[in-house]
Amino acid sequence: MNHTNHHTHQVRSCYIIPPYILESIARTGTENQRACALRTLGLDGRIRSERGLRSGVGPRGLQSVGAPRKNRLIYTAANGTTLPGTLIRSEDQGASADLAAEEAYAGFGATFDLYWDVYGRNSIDDNGMDLIGTVHYGDHYDNAFWDGTQMVFGDGDGTIFNRFTIAIDVMGHELTHGVTAGTAALEYHDQPGALNESISDVFGSLVKQRSLGQTAAQADWLIGAGLLAPGINGVALRSMKAPGTAYDDPLIGNDPQPDHMSRYVNTPSDQGGVHINSGIPNRAFYLTAIAIGGNSWEVAGHIWYRTLLDSRLSVNARFQDFADLTADNANQIYGSSVRAAIVQAWQDIGIVIGEVNTSASEFLRGN
Amino acid sequence: MKITLEMSGGFAHLPALSRPLAIDTAQIEPQARAELEALVRQSRFFDQPLIGSAPAKGAADYRYYTITVVDGPRAYTIQLTDPIRDIYLEKLVSRLRGIAGKPPL
Repeated sequence: MNHTNHHTHQVRSCYIIPPYILESIARTGTENQRACALRTLGLDGRIRSERGLRSGVGPRGLQSVGAPRKNRLIYTAANGTTLPGTLIRSEDQGASADLAAEEAYAGFGATFDLYWDVYGRNSIDDNGMDLIGTVHYGDHYDNAFWDGTQMVFGDGDGTIFNRFTIAIDVMGHELTHGVTAGTAALEYHDQPGALNESISDVFGSLVKQRSLGQTAAQADWLIGAGLLAPGINGVALRSMKAPGTAYDDPLIGNDPQPDHMSRYVNTPSDQGGVHINSGIPNRAFYLTAIAIGGNSWEVAGHIWYRTLLDSRLSVNARFQDFADLTADNANQIYGSSVRAAIVQAWQDIGIVIGEVNTSASEFLRGN
Repeated sequence: MKITLEMSGGFAHLPALSRPLAIDTAQIEPQARAELEALVRQSRFFDQPLIGSAPAKGAADYRYYTITVVDGPRAYTIQLTDPIRDIYLEKLVSRLRGIAGKPPL
C-alpha cells in the first residue's frame, strides 16, 4: 500500500471518531495513532474553519487531502551569484557527488515530510510547490536566505562558518519562511519580523528533532549546530532553550539574543533585531514543548502551526498577539491543561496572556 | 578614495561583525588600491540607484549592504540586499572585506 493510499485509508477510518477522543489519542496514543489523530484534527479544523470563515474567523490556508507532491530541485551557483544556477540534483534521480547538494536534498525532504506527515501541508504553498535550492552561492558566502521563491546557501568562509547545508534545521528554517510568506505573511521587521524568524527556528528545530527521533527532553534546541567552524568558541548560531548562550568568541563576539521581554533589544540594525529578539518567542516555544512533553512537533508544533494559519494573526502582529492566539488555539484544540502550559511558558518570558479580541477592529491593529 | 561598508541582517547575523568597515585607499598597498578603485569605476558606482532592487515579497534572511564612497568632492551612498546582482558591486564587497581582514562575504 503506497503512502497516499495509506493516508486516505487512515483519514476515512478516523472520521467517525469525535474530536474529544481524537484529542485524547493525540496526547496519549502510540506514534501512529497520534499522527493519525493530529492529521484528522487538522482536517476537522479545516471543516470547522470553513464554517468559521463564513463568520470571518478561522484558519487560513485550507489543508490538502489529495496526493502530496514532493519535487526537489537543487542547483549550483558555482560560486557565482546567478540564480538558480545549474541543476545538479532532482527528485528521485541518483545521488550527486556534491555533498552540499545532497544535504540540501535530504533537508528539503525531511522538511516536506514534517509538513505533510504531521500537518497535512502539501509543500510550502500547500499545493505541491517545487522545492528549489541553490548551493555554492557566492564566494565563501557566510549566509543562507529565502529569496521569495527559493532557498540559497553559501559555502561559508571556513574560518567562522562551515557550509550552510551542514545543519538540517537551516533547510527547515528557510523553507518555513516560504510557508510563513504564504500564510501569516508576517512583516519582516521589529516584532512581527522576530516572530517570522522564530517560527522558522521552531519548525527548523522540529525538522531536526523528528529526523533524529528525539523528544522535547532529548533535543538540544540548538539552531545551526555544526555551522560554526573549528576554533570558534560556540555550539551553534542560536539556542532556543537558553537564548544568549550559543557562542562567546573573541572573533564573533557573544550571542546577543535575549531570553525575556525585559531584555528586548531595541536596535535599527537587522531590521529591528529580527534575528536577535526571536530568542524570546523561541524560548516560549521551548518551555511549551518541555512542559507538554513527548515529541515537540505533535502538540506544541501543532498549536504553533494552527496559529500561523489563524486568520486572526495579522501581518504586523506583536509577540503579545501571537501569544494570545497560541493560548486560544491550545484551549480550542486540546483544552485547559495545555492552555495552562502555554500561559506559563509565555509568562516565564515576560508576556501575560490576554483574551483574543475577535472584533473587526483587531484586523486593523497597528504596531 | 574613502570607502565604507556596513552589513547587517542575514540568517547568520553577527552584530559584532556588522560594524562598519572603513578603508582609505591612500593608506593601503598600491595593488589593492588599484583593484578597489577599478571596481568602483567598473560598477559605475556614482550612477547606481540609491537603493538597489527591493527584496522580493516574502524574502527573508537576506543581508543589507550600505556602501559609501567619497572621492574628492563626490560622496555617494547606496544600499543593496542579497542577492547582489551587479558582479562588480559583489566583487567590491568581497574585496573590501578581504582587505579589512574579514571573510569575503
